[in-house]
Amino acid sequence: MSVNYLIKKIMSYFFILLFAVWCLFPIYWLLSTSLKTNLQTNSKPPVFIFKPILDNYKLIIQDFDIWHIFFNSLIIASGTTFFSLFFGVPAAYALAKFKFKGNTDFSFWILTTRMAPPIAMLIPFYVMYNKLGILDTHIGLILAHISLNLSLVVWIMRGFFEDLPKDIEESSYIDGASYFSTFYRISLPISRNGIVAVGILCFLFSWNEFLMALILTDDSAKTVPVGISKFVGFQLIKWAELAASAIFMIMPIFIFLVFFQKQLIKGLTMGAIK
Amino acid sequence: MKFVNKKNIFIILMLLPSTFLLLGLTIFPFVVGLILGFTDFSLIRPQNGMRGVGFENYIEIFTTEEFWISFKTTLIFTFFAVTIQLILGTLMAVLLHHNSKTAPIMRALYLLPLAVTPVAATFSFRMMFNPSLGVFNFFLESSGFAPLAWLSKPDLALISLIIVDIWQWTPFIMLIVAGGLASLPNEPFESAKVDGAGDIQIFFHHTLPLLKPYLALAVIFRIIDAFKTFDIIYVLTGGGPGISTRTLNLMAYRYGMEYLELGYAASFAIIMLLIIILFSQIFLRKTNIYSTKVARL
Repeated sequence: MSVNYLIKKIMSYFFILLFAVWCLFPIYWLLSTSLKTNLQTNSKPPVFIFKPILDNYKLIIQDFDIWHIFFNSLIIASGTTFFSLFFGVPAAYALAKFKFKGNTDFSFWILTTRMAPPIAMLIPFYVMYNKLGILDTHIGLILAHISLNLSLVVWIMRGFFEDLPKDIEESSYIDGASYFSTFYRISLPISRNGIVAVGILCFLFSWNEFLMALILTDDSAKTVPVGISKFVGFQLIKWAELAASAIFMIMPIFIFLVFFQKQLIKGLTMGAIK
Repeated sequence: MKFVNKKNIFIILMLLPSTFLLLGLTIFPFVVGLILGFTDFSLIRPQNGMRGVGFENYIEIFTTEEFWISFKTTLIFTFFAVTIQLILGTLMAVLLHHNSKTAPIMRALYLLPLAVTPVAATFSFRMMFNPSLGVFNFFLESSGFAPLAWLSKPDLALISLIIVDIWQWTPFIMLIVAGGLASLPNEPFESAKVDGAGDIQIFFHHTLPLLKPYLALAVIFRIIDAFKTFDIIYVLTGGGPGISTRTLNLMAYRYGMEYLELGYAASFAIIMLLIIILFSQIFLRKTNIYSTKVARL
């Protein structure tokens, strides 16, 4: 081991740790603020060592509005995930496995639907929803979120299906299975990891999406990000309570990430690109 | 081969549902938006209905200085945010790739920013950027620097926004590059090492070219998303101070949802759409990432 090698190792550890601190600090700060008293959050210099309290959480879980927002997000994100997968996965399979005229154009068209700045869709959506009477409803926002996530599902799953070994399917055809039963019985089960990963991504994007939710919902279908932003606007002084509600409302995503982290990385890195 | 055979029917059945859905959810609204853009439809004077005004909205947009200022702000934000994310994300992916001991735990930590609801993360940053109580100024002052008015000076406000965006999205690039690194073949690297090439040389001559498709994909997704960033800006600066951090997206939102000039905002959105499609077409053709292999059956 040369000195050179040692220096390189130390440098690399240094950067790796530094980046970890950078990634964690804002989350830590939000969490620690949520465990302070309002007085401590407004002190100068900032308080680093303090006795954590749960009062802010006790306060917010009694707040009906927060549960309302929470369940809205749960319904909308689950609905979006289910329908995006239901419609997107078959399309991705057809695009990955069959060469036909216009295949790449079709794929590109699907990608362009994601490029569109949401505002370009939202103004017409707003006008149409207004006419249809589905402004501020779950189904209205689910539809809008599908328009964002379908392309993601198709693109990632297309890459994933392309990477599946061809011989499994070919032997299924030789056994006389139809295209559909091969897709359903062979290709889908072995792509489980990819589908779970894409599903989690859909859930995450829908849970975190802000602009559509801001415009298309008002009160009865208001989601987590809109809720947080409204709190920020109205009660900027009560940092501790606000931080507690923010932490509370991003919890589900964190739990997801902890449980499915391996699958998420595996699913993504296997099929994201090719 | 006839067109109507089992294979084609299968392909059509698989593609049809999502095609219909996307037509309904994107093309139809697009057409409605296109039509709206040629009217002066406004919710402030709904009794007037939709009156065709031809290209008036478009002419007005292109001749207002505000549009060009917002366009410039959007470009600066997108360029710096994505460039720094690309460099930092690639660097971290490479470092982790050569540091297999810490990689699993660190990769898990690095992913966290991606999961935090941007509005919540931005709220945390807003506390930290606070001029008198914020922790950033505390760090600056305790290391002997002057405190900064993060969000109330135009240039600094834009930099603050870029910092938040970098925090949130660098992990995304890292994730994709890490996937790319894991799938690279070993041989070129071994033979380069035998030839006595240094690490940095190997990186630029062998690793980087092989990573190109992965980088291109990560960058195009990031450019598209950065261009239409909304939540971070809305919560952190609201486009201010003045209009210094007001991107095109925010400007369209203000005209559409606050001044309720839906016709004007619709034409604004069409312009944004054209800019991004034009740009990404050029980018995709130049980098050639969608000439993907399609398995023949």
